Amino acid sequence: MPREHKEYRSKARIYVDILASIMKHGGKSRPTRILYGANLSHDRLMKHLGQLIELELVEEQKQDDAVIYKLTDKGRKFLIEFIKIEKFAEAFGITI
Amino acid sequence: MDLRLLTFLMEFVSSFISLLVGYYALKGYKEFSIKGLFFLYLGFIILGIGTFLRVFSATYFVILLRALEPAPHLRSLINLAGLIYTLTQLIAYSLFTATYILQAKALGERSLELGLVSAVLFPIYGLFFNPSLELIAIVMLGFIAVHSFNNWILKRSSGSALVFLGFGFMFLSHLLFLFMIMEPVFLFFGQVIQLAGFLCLLAMLARVSRVHA
Repeated sequence: MPREHKEYRSKARIYVDILASIMKHGGKSRPTRILYGANLSHDRLMKHLGQLIELELVEEQKQDDAVIYKLTDKGRKFLIEFIKIEKFAEAFGITI
Repeated sequence: MDLRLLTFLMEFVSSFISLLVGYYALKGYKEFSIKGLFFLYLGFIILGIGTFLRVFSATYFVILLRALEPAPHLRSLINLAGLIYTLTQLIAYSLFTATYILQAKALGERSLELGLVSAVLFPIYGLFFNPSLELIAIVMLGFIAVHSFNNWILKRSSGSALVFLGFGFMFLSHLLFLFMIMEPVFLFFGQVIQLAGFLCLLAMLARVSRVHA
């Protein structure tokens, strides 16, 4: 799901790249892994993760003194819905 | 089955599919604010409502013409309904064209009794027909079909292939409608091809909805 972007990424696209990166690692992941997967700087990732937590798409957990981010059911549903809409849009040649 | 009823039924199914595709585009626009989907939503909803109104008005006029002599005011009413339908179609096709133009900018670039068909269908649908506006619809659909073909070549996905087939069939159906002047049976063939186009869009919708975690 995450891909190289030279062009501007929409907020929804960034959220999806973060969620997809967490999903790829079994539904929970450390920030460093998400950072590479979503192709974001640390500051921007933390800002977006904060917003995703507010939206209840992701939750923060502590594991062995480290912070991990876990995909919630709402987050999983959001991701699936986005993939469906993305496929629909792409069929008509609309890039998200 | 009465062929007129069959034609009405095909158009009704087409209008339902159009509304369904429009609803899906609206869902995408509302949830993820994707601008291109807004034009698709408007286009398919307008097309669906226009087609539904034509089925409704055609059925109504069939009943009226059976009950009454074709009075002049009734004929002008039929002409008006036909014009409204064609205009809604043109608006919808313009919106699809706008979707492809905007996207290009963003990227930087049956076994039939033919005589019977003619006898029962043409008297009603012939009244709805406007060759000049039909030509405009053909040009716009040609443009849309070419762009959806390009998209299929680029993406090589089943969804984009189905959208290309959908618009391609719609384009063909309008070409057949144009030949209705010479041979009314082309109307029926056109409706069949148009329904095939909408069924392709329905198949695409079914495919994209099958995504699981």
